[in-house]
Amino acid sequence: MEKTINLTLKVWRQANPQDAGRFEVYEAHDISTDASFLEMLDVVNERLEREGKEPIAFDHDCREGICGMCGAVINGQAHGAEKETTLCQLHMRKFKNGDTLVIEPWRSKAFPIIKDLVVDRSAFDRIIASGGYITVRTGQAPEAHTMLVPQPNAEKSFDAAACIGCGACVAACPNASAMLFVSAKISQLALLPQGQPERWDRVRIMVEKMDEEGFGNCSNHYECEAACPKNIKVSNIARLNRDHLWASIRAKLRG
Amino acid sequence: MGNSVLKRSIMKKQIVAISGLLLIGFLFAHLAGNMLLFGPPEGINEYAQKLQELGPILWLFRIGLALTFAVHISFTLWVALENRAARSGRYAVSNDRGGTDFATKTMVYSGLLIAVYLLLHLSDFAFGDHYGEATIVAGAETEESLGLYGLIWNSFIQPWRVVVYVFAVGVVGLHVSHGLQSFIQTLGFANDDVLPVLKTVSRIVGLLIALGYAAIPIYMIVRHYTIGIGA
Repeated sequence: MEKTINLTLKVWRQANPQDAGRFEVYEAHDISTDASFLEMLDVVNERLEREGKEPIAFDHDCREGICGMCGAVINGQAHGAEKETTLCQLHMRKFKNGDTLVIEPWRSKAFPIIKDLVVDRSAFDRIIASGGYITVRTGQAPEAHTMLVPQPNAEKSFDAAACIGCGACVAACPNASAMLFVSAKISQLALLPQGQPERWDRVRIMVEKMDEEGFGNCSNHYECEAACPKNIKVSNIARLNRDHLWASIRAKLRG
Repeated sequence: MGNSVLKRSIMKKQIVAISGLLLIGFLFAHLAGNMLLFGPPEGINEYAQKLQELGPILWLFRIGLALTFAVHISFTLWVALENRAARSGRYAVSNDRGGTDFATKTMVYSGLLIAVYLLLHLSDFAFGDHYGEATIVAGAETEESLGLYGLIWNSFIQPWRVVVYVFAVGVVGLHVSHGLQSFIQTLGFANDDVLPVLKTVSRIVGLLIALGYAAIPIYMIVRHYTIGIGA
């Protein structure tokens, strides 16, 4: 038989970027424990609409944990307390009847709040656009075996490429730093032969862009790794640090 | 790319990291010298005398050390202020996820406490009067000055000073327990295999520094209340 629970939600409501915002309390009754967190919000929103009230705005797309659109801070934890889980994959069976949930948007100067729980993460897109690419000549795809990739590098590169850009690392970081995100985007290319031609320029350009967007500095709390739904490791940050150091020295040597 | 390299976030932190490692190096050198306090008064006094005789070299070293502190503190404050500005507002509920720890969260505060204590410590010992009345130890075999040893002894037979000192070196140990592994990570030498080991090693080094320094006043006050200085 389906089990249902009742919850009290304290949700951040903010009409627009200029609005000061405030918490509002909603009762969420008869929530199926089989529902995902977003489905629970859907139920609450349907009720709000029936009552003629403004539904809670939140971002979502695939609801399969692979697109990186959803995300909110639940009781102080980005995507909720479950490990390696996006908000859409967080299920209501993880909560107890009578729980009070405080739901907030990512809070970072570089991610302005658009409405309620929706934040503008285009700063991430601008970082990618600044240098997170490789240059490939168009034409016939070359024979795959002409470019050899050591197995450990392929694994590490793929692990880094699992980043979905959801922004939980920034949300969880006490300094709102984007180092885990940027390090994943640097590492996925730095570990492969295709990423080598632009490697040393890329790291300097992307770090400069990251700073310009107003993200904080990493102070090695490692909360980002703990909050990441894709388990991106802080060893990527170490790689970013050493690549950036070498890139800066290299740039000086080359003049 | 007109931006100065020094302004880049990673560079700033690497400067903090390198200056921090130099300061950890100083902590060990200083602790090694302090071990002479477990011996007779002549040991530390002659050591201090030899350092004084270095003259300009000693001053060069002192200025270098002061500059290292200045760089470490100013770059940290720069980074810390930027970090504060990067948060658009505080979370209503804040909850750690198991990544961070007490030492990491309190780095700025432990650092500021150390800076304040350092000033007291310098005025007490380094720039204190090594020959005056405060260096004559009551109950010693001689009624003459016991030099720097006497100054330190007279300080550390006062329980409140022992408490303040032990607290201060505890804070230093806490600061180092994060600082050392943070140095390795920030310079980029860490990976998935070494980082967990580094965290443990860093905590052990922090603990050793705290215990090493704390042993001195505890030894002195225990000795004062038991066998006394003369034995």
